[in-house]
Amino acid sequence: MKPYIMMLMGLVLAIQSVTAQITINLALSNRPQPWLSDWANPVNGQLIISYMPQVVGDPNVKLRTTLFDESGAIIGSSNTSSARVYRLKDGVNLFSAADAIQLQNLKLLGKAQALLQRTGRLSAGLYQLTVEALNTAGDVVRARQTKSFTITAYQLPFLTSPANEANLDAHIAQSTIIFRWTSLVPSSTELPIYRVQVFEILPNQTPMQAFRGNRPLLDEQATRGTTQYIWRPNLAMLDSTANKKFIWTVQTIDREGKPIQGLDATAQGRSTPAVFTIIRNEAVKRPELN
Amino acid sequence: MKYILRILVFSILLTPFKGSAQDKKKLIKFGGDMGVWYEGYGLDKDPNSSLPNFYPARKPWNLLRYSFNPNLTVGKWNIPFNFNFTAMQNNFTTSPTGKKQSIWQYLTNPVNNFGISPKIGTTELLLGTQNLQYSDLSTGDLGIFGYGVNLAPGKFRIKLFNGVSQRPVDYLTAVQFPPNGITGAYQRNQWMAQLGMEKEEKYFAGFNFVKSSDHRNSVNTAPLPPIEPQENMVVSFLAKVNTSDGWKYHIELGQSFFTRNLNTALSTTIVPDFKPFVKAHTSSNKDNAVMLGVAKKGSDWEIGAKFNYYGAGYYTAGYPFMQNDKSEYLVNTRFNAFKKKMNIVASLGQRFGNLSKIAGPSVTKQIIANVNVFTQFSDHFTLTTSFNNYGFNASSISGYKSVSNELTVNPSYTWTTPKINHLLSGTYTFSKYDETILLPPLTTTHNNTKTALILYVPTFLEKKISPDFSLMWFNNKATPIELTLLSATAGMNWKPKEKINIKGQLQYSLSTIKPYTANKNLLATTGFDWELYKKLTWQFSFTANIYHYGTELPGSSLSPPITGFPNYFETTVRTGLQYRF
Repeated sequence: MKPYIMMLMGLVLAIQSVTAQITINLALSNRPQPWLSDWANPVNGQLIISYMPQVVGDPNVKLRTTLFDESGAIIGSSNTSSARVYRLKDGVNLFSAADAIQLQNLKLLGKAQALLQRTGRLSAGLYQLTVEALNTAGDVVRARQTKSFTITAYQLPFLTSPANEANLDAHIAQSTIIFRWTSLVPSSTELPIYRVQVFEILPNQTPMQAFRGNRPLLDEQATRGTTQYIWRPNLAMLDSTANKKFIWTVQTIDREGKPIQGLDATAQGRSTPAVFTIIRNEAVKRPELN
Repeated sequence: MKYILRILVFSILLTPFKGSAQDKKKLIKFGGDMGVWYEGYGLDKDPNSSLPNFYPARKPWNLLRYSFNPNLTVGKWNIPFNFNFTAMQNNFTTSPTGKKQSIWQYLTNPVNNFGISPKIGTTELLLGTQNLQYSDLSTGDLGIFGYGVNLAPGKFRIKLFNGVSQRPVDYLTAVQFPPNGITGAYQRNQWMAQLGMEKEEKYFAGFNFVKSSDHRNSVNTAPLPPIEPQENMVVSFLAKVNTSDGWKYHIELGQSFFTRNLNTALSTTIVPDFKPFVKAHTSSNKDNAVMLGVAKKGSDWEIGAKFNYYGAGYYTAGYPFMQNDKSEYLVNTRFNAFKKKMNIVASLGQRFGNLSKIAGPSVTKQIIANVNVFTQFSDHFTLTTSFNNYGFNASSISGYKSVSNELTVNPSYTWTTPKINHLLSGTYTFSKYDETILLPPLTTTHNNTKTALILYVPTFLEKKISPDFSLMWFNNKATPIELTLLSATAGMNWKPKEKINIKGQLQYSLSTIKPYTANKNLLATTGFDWELYKKLTWQFSFTANIYHYGTELPGSSLSPPITGFPNYFETTVRTGLQYRF
């Protein structure tokens, strides 16, 4: 056998013996949270690296992350030279999905990078994540795994009627008020739950103060799948002591009963609220976009 | 508590200015008002406890609010107070504490206002709760408890404020506070500044700087994800110009630097630090927003247009409920015609959402158009007509669209006999609302609503009684559901003396969902407005609401089952005393 063939076989065996020490299991959620910085949350999955020490084994590894879009094109990868060195313990080593995506070391390309800078998110769609365990020099792949995942994000409903600063005729409003809003986007077969919440603006209160501090006068779920709720208030709105101003919103909740998240989690899936006023004997004014 | 100390120190530091002002002029004036407002709520149900709970209480049993809004003038000092508060805690969209509030939680509860704004010349101190809105893209309209100052030397405008816009609340488990626990919240500190130049009624140009940061150590038990400590910095440039020939211009350009979770690692990989204000984390992002507006006002008309853009990552902690990732424009006009016998108000706007395509492959479109025409045909007859159109389209494979058209006609006729002025008014509204879910199988829901109202108001010229009568019919069809509502209302005001006004109202309603029998409702209200003394007024009102369900909710469907149909009796007492200084 010629020496270079022997050398090649030796190299292959050496690589096999090294790679056989480490296995990667990327247990990533099919639908992880759209904000990549949230991936430390266990609901997004885990990266499991198993290490079986052998004679020539090196417990130190670096991770390399590569992100592909739906077409298989690379849209981002981590910087190997600045990647953190992990010293694996014998057996199972657990990492978070945040360790797998390496956000602090990930460089996306083009539009994806611009969107990440602007929003901290990827656009909705199908992606593939490949995680590789490398030697500390970063030139030998010791283990690799690829997982697909889907990013789903939502646009909360906009309130349409009563529009912000609308005036409603008290003679009609004390018996019935129709609330309407746009649908959660994208819609899905798992219809969301819309809760209509109406707050009285009490004397000397600002609308936002009432919204943040009062208990809602109405907190009811609309018929699932519809974007309309007919409220029968049965309130004495014609009376002079009655509150004439109200602020309302829609809280959108997923099938598990959790609020759909906006930028600020404290908003609890509530759309931008709108104020309406009860008037007597005057034409109802329909003002601008709220 | 450090804010309270700072407020005190801040006040003391400015005491010398106060003293010198008093030396010059010792005139003391006291104006304003104060009052107390109470609402009591009662609910009796038959059956009283059953499953499902067919009618939950919709108000707190007792609600007491105090207001103290004097305006004190001492020499050249003008000191308005804004104290509006309650001892009760009914927080819903912000986290309740689940236990007795601490003093700090009480002061920073968004339901309470404790604010003083002493002003002398061009210097205004801001102490306690303040609702500061420097601009739409920066501060929002949340109440903030803290301290600050507004200075206006010459054309310069300098505003500074430091306070708390969200009180700290500990997370409590469902075991600690059944049934659902307490969500909790971090204390949110807010620093604000505005530096600009202004000439009253002519122009303003300046920069706004707003930083808000959640204090991680403000709670003993931190809220659970997704509520994380946040940080936000907004810088905006605002310019407003009014010209002598009636033009108005408005422009604001804003950039936000938002950190979604302060517990994430410091990193400049995604966005660089925003020196010297904010250090970047892996959860930081920055984005922009724009507001533009132009308007022109004539003697008998006005027209305006505005355009707003909010980037998908634009965020201001001053208004956390703002929805972003959208652009919108609106054109509106108002003018008179036919020798001012006709007044027309119209607007047309469009909103584009999901601009960043984060929530799907296509941009959503929303249109809103309305026109309102008021015509005075004669001294006796007027007609108001309005048409509104709303449309929303999320055209993708997982999309949705809806269209709403609404037409309202409202004629009014008045005539006078020797002893009575009569007003007869009718309103008819037809609303057509169609929703289509673009998921196979395509389903479109047609939702048609008709509303008719007849109102008759006789005003007796020689008597102290003014009654009014109305009949309303409402019908909503959204196959397979059809709801019909019929209500008759009679109201009356009686002024037996100059200072007292007694009022009453009775309304009977039938509410029917086909094929069930009608629910019956009687709403009765009585009360008075009484000027006890020259500056003291007392308002009182009592409302009873009796509701009997029809076959829509048979007693046999409840657990435990009852014979017949459930009903409830709801009462509300409202009373308020107000004293004007």
